[in-house]
Amino acid sequence: MAQANAAPVEVSLGATATLIFLVAGKQFAVDLARVERILDYRRPTRTPRRPPHVEGIIQHEGRYLPIMSLRKRLGVEGPGPANPAILLLTGIGRDPVVGVVVDQVLHVLSLPPDRLLLPPPRVFGIRAEFIRGVANAGGRPVVWLDESKLLTSAEAITLLA
Amino acid sequence: MGRFVPPSRRTRARAETPGVREKFLLFRVGDEIYGMALRGLREVLLSDGVALLPASPSQVCVALAHRGHRLPVIRMRALFEGAQAGMPAAARVLLTEGQGRPLGLLVDEVLEMVEVDPAHIAPVPALATLLDPACFRGLFTRKDRVILLVNEHGLGGADEVLQFNAAGT
Repeated sequence: MAQANAAPVEVSLGATATLIFLVAGKQFAVDLARVERILDYRRPTRTPRRPPHVEGIIQHEGRYLPIMSLRKRLGVEGPGPANPAILLLTGIGRDPVVGVVVDQVLHVLSLPPDRLLLPPPRVFGIRAEFIRGVANAGGRPVVWLDESKLLTSAEAITLLA
Repeated sequence: MGRFVPPSRRTRARAETPGVREKFLLFRVGDEIYGMALRGLREVLLSDGVALLPASPSQVCVALAHRGHRLPVIRMRALFEGAQAGMPAAARVLLTEGQGRPLGLLVDEVLEMVEVDPAHIAPVPALATLLDPACFRGLFTRKDRVILLVNEHGLGGADEVLQFNAAGT
């Protein structure tokens, strides 16, 4: 996938534009307004004593960005796809931009409030504290993550089938 | 007649002048490359001249017998990777000063010296490491590789080093 700016999308009144992606075969969403770019994966420089889900640092357009694996953050074992993507997200922790590795980017989806459900205490093993809402897209569930809480918390998570 | 300035101060003043390149010694720990400012380096000891006093394999700070003194040495591989650190043939101890006291850094291999414009040194992202940010001066890129620069004064303030110095061992 070529480097791309997050494309603008038509959003109905009161709806939130989200970016839908896959991790371990499950659909997740993040707020599109927080997605600065989508990059092809490249191996980060490993950093010393990093948290288990942190892969290291890359340089992109003169900036140094920490790179995190969402697979590892969600406790998914085993190798991921050969060509994952890196979402550059803003507003997470103290770093202006962080890179989050996901298996595959799917599409942009507008989520109006009436399509969003409050999450149950856990979805796929993820506590509701890390989830903004759950929706149905094409007959499959989409979990809208609170990416900031998820990626700055040290709580262990194991994604359930 | 110009005012006398000690050599160490002259070096510092040069390095802080914008646009003037600063020298760094690059070294390897595990698979990654790191650097430290040459101005903080006192001596590089060969591994065959280094006798580390007995310690547990995972201990970060160990004692080095050097010219009649016992100096704290940080095993960088144990600090950075939590790995049990051996002493490869290419290993070296970089003698420096951390917080005004002698300090050794045991690295896997010394590589080369490079010059870097201090304006090109960026801060280390907060989420990238669990280590105290004071352990790093910053980072820069060389040949598409990100290189972290250690800060010997921050390392000298590490708990293990402070305990070593406090114990007087």
